Amino acid sequence: MKLEVNNLEKNYGKKEVLKDISFTFEEGKIYGLLGRNGAGKTTFFNALNNDIPIDQGSFYLEDEYGKRKLETKDIGYVVSTPVVPEFLTGREFLKFYLDINKEKIKDLKGIDEYFDLVKLKREDQDILLKEYSHGMKNKIQILVNVISNPKIILLDEPLTSLDIVVQEEMKKLLLSLKQNHIIIFSTHILELATDLCDEIVVLSNKNLELIEKKDLNSNKYKEKIIEILKEEEEND
Amino acid sequence: MINALGKTLQIDIAYSVNSFLYVLRKLPILKDLMTEDIYKSKTLKKVVGIIGILFSMARAIFLKFMYFFVILFICYRMFPDNVVRSFFHIYFVLTLLGMFINNKLLNTSKKKYFSLLVFQMDATSFFRANLFWNLFTSTIMNTICIFLFVNIFLVSPSIIYTPILILYTLMVRLTGEALNILYLRKYNYIWYSNSALYFPILILHLAACFLPLIDVLIPFRIMLIATVIFSITGTLSFMYLMKIKDYKLIYKRLSQMTNVMDSKNEKDYLKQAMVDVTEKDKVIDKKIIEKKEGYDFFNTIFFERHKEILLRSAKKYSWVLGIIYIVVAYLMWKYTKYNESATNFLQLHLSCFVMIMFFINRGAIITQAMFFNCDHAMLRFNFYREPKIILELFKKRLQTVVKVNLLPALVIGIGNSILYSLSNTPISITTHITTFLFIICLSIFFSVHYLVIYYLLQPFNKEMEVKKASYSFVTLGTYLISYFLVDFVLSAEILSVLGILFVIIYIPLALTLVYKIAPRTFKLN
Repeated sequence: MKLEVNNLEKNYGKKEVLKDISFTFEEGKIYGLLGRNGAGKTTFFNALNNDIPIDQGSFYLEDEYGKRKLETKDIGYVVSTPVVPEFLTGREFLKFYLDINKEKIKDLKGIDEYFDLVKLKREDQDILLKEYSHGMKNKIQILVNVISNPKIILLDEPLTSLDIVVQEEMKKLLLSLKQNHIIIFSTHILELATDLCDEIVVLSNKNLELIEKKDLNSNKYKEKIIEILKEEEEND
Repeated sequence: MINALGKTLQIDIAYSVNSFLYVLRKLPILKDLMTEDIYKSKTLKKVVGIIGILFSMARAIFLKFMYFFVILFICYRMFPDNVVRSFFHIYFVLTLLGMFINNKLLNTSKKKYFSLLVFQMDATSFFRANLFWNLFTSTIMNTICIFLFVNIFLVSPSIIYTPILILYTLMVRLTGEALNILYLRKYNYIWYSNSALYFPILILHLAACFLPLIDVLIPFRIMLIATVIFSITGTLSFMYLMKIKDYKLIYKRLSQMTNVMDSKNEKDYLKQAMVDVTEKDKVIDKKIIEKKEGYDFFNTIFFERHKEILLRSAKKYSWVLGIIYIVVAYLMWKYTKYNESATNFLQLHLSCFVMIMFFINRGAIITQAMFFNCDHAMLRFNFYREPKIILELFKKRLQTVVKVNLLPALVIGIGNSILYSLSNTPISITTHITTFLFIICLSIFFSVHYLVIYYLLQPFNKEMEVKKASYSFVTLGTYLISYFLVDFVLSAEILSVLGILFVIIYIPLALTLVYKIAPRTFKLN
């Protein structure tokens, strides 16, 4: 399975944010999307998820059945600030989500098993989502976005607000999911990206650039990424 | 201090100018003409700044003028025999109420936040400058208005009233500012955020405004004594306010309380609190949702958790209406004159029920709750935005909202029929039936109307502010039409038939529009 981005362009007024981006993402990999503040990472995700109109470009999904236009149902999008329906409890939200997506879910598990997946404590499962902490809301958001088994999972800064124990749990979860999925993960934390991701893609100068690791050791690799990110400042 | 005042005004103007330019750049034609460079243009900013200052001055003068005008209007409408004295009475009571609720020093605003916590201005000079500026501007405007309304419009018997009212207003304001700060320092919260204190004081004052109805008016000598007392407390308050050194600390505490940057002011908090899930509604009966699945499950829980603003409030309205009908029925049965006036009202002024139904319908508040507690999160999920799902949920919501709103409508419908039966004038069975159906149709109309405009215009942002002029226009239009119908005289039978016909035409049209357009319009702004 491949996700093709062709000639994507997005401007805000006269300001160009994404310029003629063409890139192919492949199944079975976690892509780390790095970029300076305001580089356009969230805009790129919003464009893929059809949340904002784009000025030019197209997205295709190619799998064993052929190539077709990307649809929003192919995507699970975990936004940086989790928003969940606050009038439901964690359990009610999960039950509702499972009910309406049960046809899409391949091996449907029980609600408790899903909670175990993100290690949400028993006592927290039956309180209103309104009372959840930021990290707990994030867990729920990641959970519902992975259980419906979308082909592509977009994660916008998902681990930044989580404590280190939960971060490790989430990393394991994402690693377990990468087969049969394309995961694109945006972050500001270089160590997290190099540690977790199979490929690093830098959004710099309004375009995507894959950073080849080849024979570089991890320090040299990081230096190379920082150099590329710095270039943008010089070009500006 | 003058320096601090200048700086605050500068920040204020810069903030308003940039916000104004930002809004301009969002408008359809202007956005193509304006680039981001407009923020750099000094001349443009000066022009917009001057227009802004003039506009805010005009707005303040207009509001002050309206305040006095409304008091005068009420006096003319309600107490035509005693306009001058009732004007003084109401002004006196409302100024006293202002002491409690109209607080300039303690309200949080972005301007204060920027000045004190971002630009780190000296808090003491800032607060003093603000206090002087507020007192100075409001005293000037009060002087003009009091002079204009008391001496010219009311042709007051004596010129002495003007300086006394001006002094009274100023001193009450000073006392209020000081008392509120004292309260905050002692109890750690602003007193009016405590509804157990706020509402009784508000209701007491508002009720006191209408004492002239039973010929109770505050005598002038009491006003004079009050002015002397407040002059003393006002002077002491002024000294106290000048002594305070920890304004910054007070403001920090305040801004934490109201979290000004997240939610512009307390009004937003109040709005959000209005649609909050109450403690009572957090636990729901498991049996109700046990067998439900999917969207049915989702929708049932939504309404169960919002019983307070929907079902319970509809029940409360029904009880109150029921009691009113019992009282009216008793009066009709006992006294001939009430029997005549009630029959006359029902037969010729049935259109008043449009306004009544407008007020008791829970449609507006429930759509706010739908957005704030549910849709603003759910619309981020792709599955929730599918046209089929939007319409399925719309249908379920509509059924529930219609059902709940029917409860008070039934009380009114049945109540009217009972009053008709008690009437000394014979009422035809057709009138009975059409009037009843008219009330039911009105209730269905308002339920459909609010939900339809919510789905077609989705006007809210995440702070629950209405961001679409079209929505405000439609709701204002609905209100105005209901308002104008109050004075509309038409026989109950004809009005009912016309009303029923209107609703029969409106509902299919509105629903067709939703089915055609809502999948495109029902989205996050």
